Amino acid sequence: MDNLDPLILARIQFAANISFHILFPTITIALGWALLGFKLAYNRTGDAAWMDAYRLWVKIFALSFAMGVVSGITMSFQFGTNWPGYMEKVGNVAGPLLAYEVLTAFFLEAVFLGIMLFGFSRVPNWVHTMATLLVAGGTTLSAFWIIVLNSWMQTPVGYEIRGGIVHATDWWAIVFNPSMPYRLTHMLIASALTVAFLIAGLSAWRWLKDGGGEGVRRTLKAAVYAAALLIPIQMFVGDMHGLNTLKHQPQKVAAMEANWETRPNVPLVLFAIPDEKARTNHLEIAVPSGASLILKREAAGVVPGLNDYRGNHPPVPPLFWGFRIMVGIGVLMLSLSWFAAWTIRRRGVDAMPRWLAWGLVTMTFSGWGATLAGWYVTEIGRQPWLVTGVLKTADAVGPVGSAMVASSLTLYLTVYAVLLTAYIAVLYRLARLGKTAPDDKPMFPVPSIAPGPAAPVEEEVAP
Amino acid sequence: MTPFVDPWWLPVIFAGLMGLSILLYVILDGYDLGVGMLTRLERDENRDLMVASIGPFWDANETWLVLGIGLLLVAFPVAHGLILTQLYLPVVLMLVALILRGVSFEFRAKAQPEHKHRWDHAFFAGSLLTALCQGYMLGAYVLGFDQSFTSVLFCLLAALGLVAGYLFVGACWLIYKVEGDLQKRAVRWAEVTLWLTALAMAIISIATPLLSERIFTRWFRLPEIIALLPIPIAAATLFIGLAIFLRRPVRAKDELSWVPLATAGILFALGFVGIAYSFYPYLIADRLDIWQAAASPESLSIILIGALFVLPVILGYSILSHWIFRGKATHLSYE
Repeated sequence: MDNLDPLILARIQFAANISFHILFPTITIALGWALLGFKLAYNRTGDAAWMDAYRLWVKIFALSFAMGVVSGITMSFQFGTNWPGYMEKVGNVAGPLLAYEVLTAFFLEAVFLGIMLFGFSRVPNWVHTMATLLVAGGTTLSAFWIIVLNSWMQTPVGYEIRGGIVHATDWWAIVFNPSMPYRLTHMLIASALTVAFLIAGLSAWRWLKDGGGEGVRRTLKAAVYAAALLIPIQMFVGDMHGLNTLKHQPQKVAAMEANWETRPNVPLVLFAIPDEKARTNHLEIAVPSGASLILKREAAGVVPGLNDYRGNHPPVPPLFWGFRIMVGIGVLMLSLSWFAAWTIRRRGVDAMPRWLAWGLVTMTFSGWGATLAGWYVTEIGRQPWLVTGVLKTADAVGPVGSAMVASSLTLYLTVYAVLLTAYIAVLYRLARLGKTAPDDKPMFPVPSIAPGPAAPVEEEVAP
Repeated sequence: MTPFVDPWWLPVIFAGLMGLSILLYVILDGYDLGVGMLTRLERDENRDLMVASIGPFWDANETWLVLGIGLLLVAFPVAHGLILTQLYLPVVLMLVALILRGVSFEFRAKAQPEHKHRWDHAFFAGSLLTALCQGYMLGAYVLGFDQSFTSVLFCLLAALGLVAGYLFVGACWLIYKVEGDLQKRAVRWAEVTLWLTALAMAIISIATPLLSERIFTRWFRLPEIIALLPIPIAAATLFIGLAIFLRRPVRAKDELSWVPLATAGILFALGFVGIAYSFYPYLIADRLDIWQAAASPESLSIILIGALFVLPVILGYSILSHWIFRGKATHLSYE
């Protein structure tokens, strides 16, 4: 194992952990708001179908949240175990941002989650609704700080280097760094789309089995409409994000488009096998002047090419393919959600053709695929830099031996494979059980002491 | 921005905040992990009840670890890298164990009933391995990461010692949170683990000064020794007092059931003060002090503003959460 490059191993290990981690925040960020939506709809209408939906999805939220917390703790340690040079060099900027993430967001979620999950009969109804709001706000705030830090690493501003160490000079500039608004919006909508397709997929699966009742029909419809509405917005935001990247990290865009020479009329490559040794593409299928049109809004627009950044640009194939996978999933999402929304709007959920429902089931986890592909593009696209122009990844790696990293990597991967399998299996199980899912009765029998002030609403809805 | 506190004080304040987070973590997640290990001694209904007694608290409790490590990361970046690369293996094992413990909590309730016992095993194993790894790290930290054979033995001993400590505080939590026969058994568990904890604390307290001349003189010179004597005396008194208290039958209305838990918390705090006094101002024994390891005063000031504003709020709603779920544990319900 010692012949493997420790840098590559440390990167693979960090990538494995952060990829596993991001799956769960991607779900909880938007699912928190979806739950608030269900809760508010229930408060307004008193309709038990919304509370059924809340009870089912709050369990999935709890599970996803726990997976996010435990894999997130791993991240806070791996900064030290894998990249000690990172905090030594840019700790003065990264430190406060990470601290604010933990202080403002993490605790808000962790504390109010308990009330949100278990407090429905122990606190007044408005407190429960408020706890749901705070948890949703907490996950979003958490995402905000992390995206700020990540964006600063992509497009660092507001700092100076004294004695080889980065010192912050302008916090306003650091927080609102050039790529932050685009990345944040893109990620928040990505989360919303992931959750929309997750809810639509699991609801469609339940609907295919036995109809599932009013709660299932309602979530299916809401999720399909949300997806159909959000996907064009996401494409627009993604385009803006691309233009922003072209301005600040042109070499990343050049690698995404596999464009080697700086020139006008750059074609949009649909398929190719990029060859970094020969610095050319094989088997290229391309739309003439397509990339120039997209990136410069004119066919004769000059687009920068990779040969201007020899030895200082990211590896081409992962970016080229990652970008195409993300966009490909996006196009699939667009066609499927629009067709499903159109069908449901015209004929109702129950008249939906079965193949369409199966299509939604197939796309249940498509948001994960697109989100991961997108993050690989942006993160690998930053290489060879860890912080663009400030710190190279190779200079931040720790002294831990390859054998140690490789064996711990194997351990992590095994655990993650087991957990991911169990997670998906449990999601389907919960969807199958619906409102009779285990936590309602068998696991935790009826409270044996007088609960706190009970929610007045409960009595109104009681049959 | 310019620091609003004397730059000399900033690392001291952050060392204090970090210490407080770690202490709170050890007490709060200590009872979670202790209860997790004790679940092995019960089954079915009682096991569910024990898990339910920590249900609303465990992830907020675990977050103190994130805050403690987070403060080490952001306030003392150099020390974070040094300490964690030294402790690479126990850290990895602890993280895997924490992952297992945390998710088993969810899976045992949501997976198919025939798989429940597997997640129960994972819950127990995760709790135990976490405690062992943390104890090992404590030992390694106290020894300044020495890797000799005797040092490793000492670390293993510390690992068992922390397991005993967590079992003790876990049993005290159960005395406070459950009733009836289960509570009576919790009293017995507390009686046994109390002495193991006392033994472990005594060993670490004796070993630490013998390892370093600097620590030895800090403790055993006049007049400090007189000022410091209350720490071991108070600890011994509390151990003996609690042992006597536990022998008495449970009160009719169960009104003093919080006493063992509070005593355990104070004992942990005393042990922590002892270690902190031995090490201050070093983050790594005799090698790296808090001023050498600190981030720039400007960055520390920025974090401090947030910390001073947010920490009271965090403490406040931690207390709120414990108050909402006060009283004897019932079977948690999503209702």
